[in-house]
Amino acid sequence: MNKLLVSDIIDLSSGSYDLKVTKDNLKINVSGDVIIHFLNEDLKSLDIILNDNSSLFVYYFLKLKAINCQINIYQNNSSHLEFNISSLNNENNNLVINNYINGNNNTSNIRVRSISNKDLSKIVINAQISKNTTGNIALEDLKGINNGGLIHIEPNIVAESNEVVANHLTTIGSLNETELNYLMSKGIKKEEGKKLLLHSFIYSNMDDYIKTVGGE
Amino acid sequence: MLELNNLNLKVDDLVLFTNLNLKINQGEIHVLMGRNGVGKSSIAKMLMGDPNYQVTGEIKYNGEVINNLNTYERALRGIYLINQAPIAIEGVTNAEMLRVALTSKTNEPIDIFAFNKELEKICQELDLDKSFIHREINVGCSGGERKKIELLHMWLLKPSLVILDEIDSGLDVDALKTVATSLKKYFNEYHPAFLIITHNDTLISHFSDCYVHLLGNQKILKSGKMDLAQEILQNGFKKNTNVSDTFVIRKN
Repeated sequence: MNKLLVSDIIDLSSGSYDLKVTKDNLKINVSGDVIIHFLNEDLKSLDIILNDNSSLFVYYFLKLKAINCQINIYQNNSSHLEFNISSLNNENNNLVINNYINGNNNTSNIRVRSISNKDLSKIVINAQISKNTTGNIALEDLKGINNGGLIHIEPNIVAESNEVVANHLTTIGSLNETELNYLMSKGIKKEEGKKLLLHSFIYSNMDDYIKTVGGE
Repeated sequence: MLELNNLNLKVDDLVLFTNLNLKINQGEIHVLMGRNGVGKSSIAKMLMGDPNYQVTGEIKYNGEVINNLNTYERALRGIYLINQAPIAIEGVTNAEMLRVALTSKTNEPIDIFAFNKELEKICQELDLDKSFIHREINVGCSGGERKKIELLHMWLLKPSLVILDEIDSGLDVDALKTVATSLKKYFNEYHPAFLIITHNDTLISHFSDCYVHLLGNQKILKSGKMDLAQEILQNGFKKNTNVSDTFVIRKN
């Protein structure tokens, strides 16, 4: 695992990276097969460029911060993106992810899991597929739980090409009462049961590594 | 152990049972039979504290009136329900849930080594791969595997009243034999009370002595022993009840 303290523009080639970003306007160039774990609890602005024939898996776990974060991701040709972000919010925050697909044969899968404990959590995901492109797939899978706070999610896909597979799924709700009752029927207190369910939800799109460094 | 005294049970505006009386002692096996829709599963859910049911009358467990206790409090006192279709919970493993449940029950830290060892032993007895211990609860499992996983939970939590809501439904012959053997072993080892809801005698034939109750018309129509179950299975509900009495009229 490569651990980097990042402050400007970086080029990442095949490998797995833990990034702690210290500068507001960071640019990342991705070539090859790259995995990034962001270790920041906040991140203001980030541009990611996926070069042709590259793949990128991102895992980013945000917690308990008031953030205003904008992430721009650019895909050109034959690239593969898996962008996973989980946020646990106690204050007003605003997250925008823009995914620009400018070439052909790219796949993009953006998964967001968010729990709002207090105030408003606003999440906007924009995927834009350019004109005259073919063979692109854009997926958005966004889920939020109101746990005392509010969540606003906007899943936008703008497809300017006819030859694209695009799908977006958004759900916002509260904890599943049936699951909670099931746990209580095993002798688990309501509060403990809630904790278990929220924990499983927020980590459901994270990999094992983030689960170990992310804490409780 | 468990007493239902003059119990009236409603869900929304639908009356399921009126003036129901039932007493189950420790070490006894009681079987509820009846047509589909008479409210057998509702009794199971009500006993587990499902908040959707309105109850008047008295539910007593080990001398304590438990009407106002929630599901967790009832489970802590030893009441355990295996539903006919156990749900799956993504992201929560069996081990994770059982660790929390056991800590809550004993108020003591868990010896992880002993805990894992015990679970592995139970898995072996249930003919269940030990990988299930660290898998998400019932996710991707067949009906038979789900029932066995519920038994795995039961063996670890050691309840004193086990409610089995059609645990025998949807099991193949081998799985049914494993489930029955496991339940019999648990019964002989811990002497709990069993309340079994079933539509056949395959499971209850594994036990030597059962009290059988036929439900219908918002009450217990008949009580007896295994011969009543045989009679019902041989002749159907018609010969044992007035057919019109056995339906609950459900409001749309």
